[in-house]
Amino acid sequence: MPDVMNIGVRALLVNQSALQTVGNNIANVNTPGYSRQSVVLKSVAGQFSGTGYYGKGVAIETVQRNYSEFLTQQAALSKSVAAGDTIRYNNLSQLENIFQGGSDGLGASISNMLNAFSDVVNAPTDLTARSVVLTQADETAARLRTAAGQLNDLKLGAMAQLKTDVTTINNLAQQIASANDQVTKALGSGHTPNDLLDQRDQLINQLNHYVQTTSISADDGSVGIFLSGSQPLVLGTAVSPLKVVSDAFNDPAKSQLMMTVSGVPLSLNATQLGGGEISGLLRFQNTDLVEAGNLLGRMALAIGSKMNEQQALGLDLNGNPGTPLFNLKPIPNGYPASTNALPGTALSVGVQTSPSSGAALLVASNYELSFSSATTGSITRLSDGVVTAFDFGASNPVKIDGLDIQKSAVAATAGDRFLITPFSAAAPGMATAFSSPRGLAMANPVTARAGTGNTGTLVVDGLAARSQPAPPAVTLTFTGPGSYTRSDTGATVYAYTPNQAIEYSTSGSLTGWSLTLKGVPQAGDTYAVQPNAYPTLDAGNAQAMLDLRDLALFDGGPLTDGYASLMASIGTRVQSAKTTMTVSVNIATQLETDRTSVSGVNLDEEAAKLLQFQQAYQAAGKMLQISQSIFDTLMQNLGR
Amino acid sequence: MNMRMGSANLFDNTLTKLTKRQADLSELQDKLSAGKRVLHASDDPAAAAQAERALTRSTRVQTEQRALGLQRNAMATAESTLGDATGALQTLRDLVISAGNATMSPANRSSIAQQITTLRDQLFGYANKQDSNGIPLFGGLGSAGAPFTDAASGVVFNGIAGQRASTATSIPSLMDGQAVWMDVPTGNGVFTVGPGSTNTGTAWTDVGQVLNPAAMTGHNYSVSFQVVAGVTTYSVTDTTTSTTIATAQPYVDGKAINFDGLSFTAHGVPTNGDAVQIAPSTRTDLFKILDSAISSINNPTATPYALTQATTLALAQIDAGMSRIQSARGIAGDALNRADIIDQNQQAKSQQLAADRSRAEDMDMVQGISDFQNQQTGYDAALKTYAQVQRLSLFNYLG
Repeated sequence: MPDVMNIGVRALLVNQSALQTVGNNIANVNTPGYSRQSVVLKSVAGQFSGTGYYGKGVAIETVQRNYSEFLTQQAALSKSVAAGDTIRYNNLSQLENIFQGGSDGLGASISNMLNAFSDVVNAPTDLTARSVVLTQADETAARLRTAAGQLNDLKLGAMAQLKTDVTTINNLAQQIASANDQVTKALGSGHTPNDLLDQRDQLINQLNHYVQTTSISADDGSVGIFLSGSQPLVLGTAVSPLKVVSDAFNDPAKSQLMMTVSGVPLSLNATQLGGGEISGLLRFQNTDLVEAGNLLGRMALAIGSKMNEQQALGLDLNGNPGTPLFNLKPIPNGYPASTNALPGTALSVGVQTSPSSGAALLVASNYELSFSSATTGSITRLSDGVVTAFDFGASNPVKIDGLDIQKSAVAATAGDRFLITPFSAAAPGMATAFSSPRGLAMANPVTARAGTGNTGTLVVDGLAARSQPAPPAVTLTFTGPGSYTRSDTGATVYAYTPNQAIEYSTSGSLTGWSLTLKGVPQAGDTYAVQPNAYPTLDAGNAQAMLDLRDLALFDGGPLTDGYASLMASIGTRVQSAKTTMTVSVNIATQLETDRTSVSGVNLDEEAAKLLQFQQAYQAAGKMLQISQSIFDTLMQNLGR
Repeated sequence: MNMRMGSANLFDNTLTKLTKRQADLSELQDKLSAGKRVLHASDDPAAAAQAERALTRSTRVQTEQRALGLQRNAMATAESTLGDATGALQTLRDLVISAGNATMSPANRSSIAQQITTLRDQLFGYANKQDSNGIPLFGGLGSAGAPFTDAASGVVFNGIAGQRASTATSIPSLMDGQAVWMDVPTGNGVFTVGPGSTNTGTAWTDVGQVLNPAAMTGHNYSVSFQVVAGVTTYSVTDTTTSTTIATAQPYVDGKAINFDGLSFTAHGVPTNGDAVQIAPSTRTDLFKILDSAISSINNPTATPYALTQATTLALAQIDAGMSRIQSARGIAGDALNRADIIDQNQQAKSQQLAADRSRAEDMDMVQGISDFQNQQTGYDAALKTYAQVQRLSLFNYLG
C-alpha cells in the first residue's frame, strides 16, 4: 500500500519537475544562447518479492542540455567570418561614397579644370578665363583634400572601433575566464551546470563576433580560447590581454593587434586572424584604405607635378617663367622598421618623383626596402609583390616606378627595412600656390617663324618647350623633303620624317623645344625657332596644358580617364566584398538554423510536452486518489 | 530540411528575409527614381567606369565645340575682312587706272592720290583688325597687340610669320599676316623692269613676261639705248656677270625685247644713253606698293612716261597683292568649311557618347518596372505568409 503511495508521490514530483523544465524552456524561448533542456527519466530498480520484481516508480537521472559542440562551434565560426565581412563591406561602401562619379564627382572636377584652359587658348589676355582656370584648380585641390580628409575620417573611425572592440574582447575574455572557474567548481556536483555552460558558450559566441577563436575543452571543464590558431587568449582562468598598436614601421596609416602572453608582447599577423570584426577592420584599414589612399594620392601627385612642370615651361603675363601652380607636400622619408640597427634619423631613405618623366610611371603602391648588405638589397612593390634588386653603391638615388629613392650616407646593416609610402602626403596637402590670374604661365617661351620665301606646304602643328629659359634661335633649313640642316650645327644634315617632332636636343634628357611640322618641305624652306618676342598674346602653354588630358599617366591610361579607373577599382573591391559578405552571412544563417535545430526551443514541441507531462501528472494524482480510496475502504471495513 | 525548428530562430530568419526584401525593394526604387541601373560603382564597376569615361569625353567635346565656335567666328571675321580688303583694292585699282590717264591734270591726280591714301589707311585698319577677344586676326604664330605698325622705312609686321595647322577638333583662328599683307612680289613676280635713273628720253616699258623659264638666269641686266644718226639701237649687258649679251639691236617702238628667256616691251623715244634696268623680283608689302603708287601719282613734276611706267607697275603689283589676299581668303574659306565638318563630326560624337553613357548606366525602364512589380508581389506574399504561418501554434488548440 505505501508503495503505491510512494510511486504516486514520486511520479507526481518527477512530472512536476518535467513540467518545470518545459516551463523553463518556454520562458527562455527568446534567450540568446539558451540550450533547450530536457529531463532524463529513469525507472527506479524493482524490489524482489516472491512473485517477482516490483517496480518502485520513476526518478530523474539528470536535466540534460540539448547541445552539439560541433554545430555550436561551426555556428560561432561562421558568424565570426560573417561579422568580419559585414563590417568590411559597411566601411567599404562608405569609402565608395567618397569616390562618386558623374558631373559632381572628383573626375569631373579634374576634367573641368583642364578644359578651362581652352578658353585661355582662345583669349590669352582674358583675365576672366584665367581666373576660371585658377578657380577650377583650387576646386580640384579642395576636392582632393576633402577626399583625403574623408579617407582619414574613415581611418580614424576604423581605429576607434578597433580600440572599442579590443576592450570588449578583453572584457569578454575575462568573463570567460571566470566562467571557466565557476564551471570547474560546479562540475564537482556530478551534474553539468547547464545554464553556466550556456552562458559561457554565449560569451564565446559574442567573442567570435569580434575575433575568430578556436576553443579547446580541458578535462576540468574549462575551455581554452586561442587566436590565430595557437595564441592563447584564455587558458583556464588566465587571460592574455590584447591591444591595438601601430605596425612594425610605425606607419600612421596602419594598425596591428598585439597580445601580451605572460608579460611577453606578441604581435598577431592580421592575415591569420580569420574572421571577426577586428579582422574585417584591420583588412579595411591596412589594405582597402591604404590602396584607396594610394590611388587618390597618386592622382594628386601625378596631376599636380605634371601641371607644375608644364607651368614651369611657360611664361606668365609678366614675361617670367611660371612658378608652381600647386603646392605639393614632399614625399615623406621611408619609415624605418623598429628592428633596424640604427634609428631612422641616422640612416634615412628620402623619396621624390623623378623629374619630368616620373609622374607618368607612378604605380599606386607602397614599397618595402630591405637591405641585405650596406648598400644592396631588394625592394618589394607591396601592391603586387614584385621584387626588384637595388644597389645604392652603383647608383644613388635608386630609380623605381618613377620614384627616386635616395639613401643617406650612413651604411645600412643587413636586415634593415624601410617602408616607403610615396602617396600618403600628396592629396591631404594639395593646394593652389597663387591666386593671381597673371601668374598662370600660358605663353610658350619659344616660337617658330616660317621663312618668308618658303614654297613648301609646311605649317606648325606643335611647338613645345622642353626647358626654360629658351635656347638661342635656331634656323632649320630644309635641303629637300626628307632632310634639313641647323644653323647651330653648320653643314650637318639631319633626316626629316614628316609629322615627326624635331627635338632641339636629342642627346641625354630632352631640353630646349620640340617642333612638329605638318606638310611637305621644299628645298630652301626655313623655320626659325626662337625665344618668343610676343608672350602676352601667346597661349602655346595653355594648349600644352590642354594636351595633358591625353597624357599617358595612370598605368598608361590618359589623364582624364584616371578617375574612371580609380572609381572602377574601388567599385570592384566593394562589389567583391559585398558578394563575400552575402555568402558568409548566408552560411552563418544556415549554420545558426542548424544549431538551433538541436539547441533551440520549439514552442509547439514544448506545448506537446506540456500536455504529455500534465497528463502524466494528472494520472499520478489519480493514483494517489486511488491509493487514498483503497485505504479508506480498508478503514471503513475495519470500523464495522 | 531540419527535423525541428527553433521558434526564435524561425522568427529571426523570417524577419531577416523580410528586411532584406524591403531593402532590395527600396534600392530598386532608388534606382528607378534616378533612372539609373548603376548608382554606385560597385553595382557594375566596368559600366560605371565606361559611363564616367563617356561623360569626360562628352564634356571635352563641349569644350572643343565652344572653342571651335570662337575659332570659327574669328576666321569668319578674317574672311569677311579679306573680302572688304579685296573690294578696297578693286576701288584702288580703278583709281590708279584713272590716274594713269594722260588727260588728268596734276591737281586731279593729287585728289586721286588723296583717295588712294584713304583706301590705304582703310586696308591698314583691316590688317590690324582684332577678334572679339582682342586677338589680332592676322597675327600669324604670335604677334604684338597691333601686328602692323607704320615706321619710317614702311609698314613693319610685329609678329611671327606662319600658319598654325588645323587639328581633328579645331581650326586655326589666326591668319598669317606676313603672307597676306607683307609678301607681295615686285614687278611681274619674276623680275622687275625699271627705267634708268638718268633717263632723259620718253621711253617707258611694260612689266615684262617670262618666255622660257628654263632659260631664266635670275641675273641683273641693263638694256642701254644708243642713238646714232637718228637710228636707235640697244645693247644688253648681264650686270651680274658683266658680260655683253647683245649689241646694236634695232629698237622699234612697241616691239618686244627678248633675251635669256625674258621679254618686255619698250615704248616711246629713248635718247642716247638711256637705259632700262632688269632685276629679279623681290618681296615687298602691299602698303609699300601703295605708298610708291601714291608718291608717283602725287608727283606734279612726273613726266607722262614715268607716270605710265609707275601706274603699269603699280597695277601689276596691286594685282599680285590682290591675288595674295584672294588666296588667303581661300585658306580662310577652307578653314570655315573644315569647321563645319568638325562641327558635324563632333555632334555625331557627342550623341554617340551620350548613347554610350546611357547604355552603360541607365535603367531599362520596362525591365526596371517589371522587376519592381515582381519584387513588390514577392514582398507582399512574404508578409502574408509570415502573418499566417506565425499565427499557427499548438497553444491555440489547448483549451
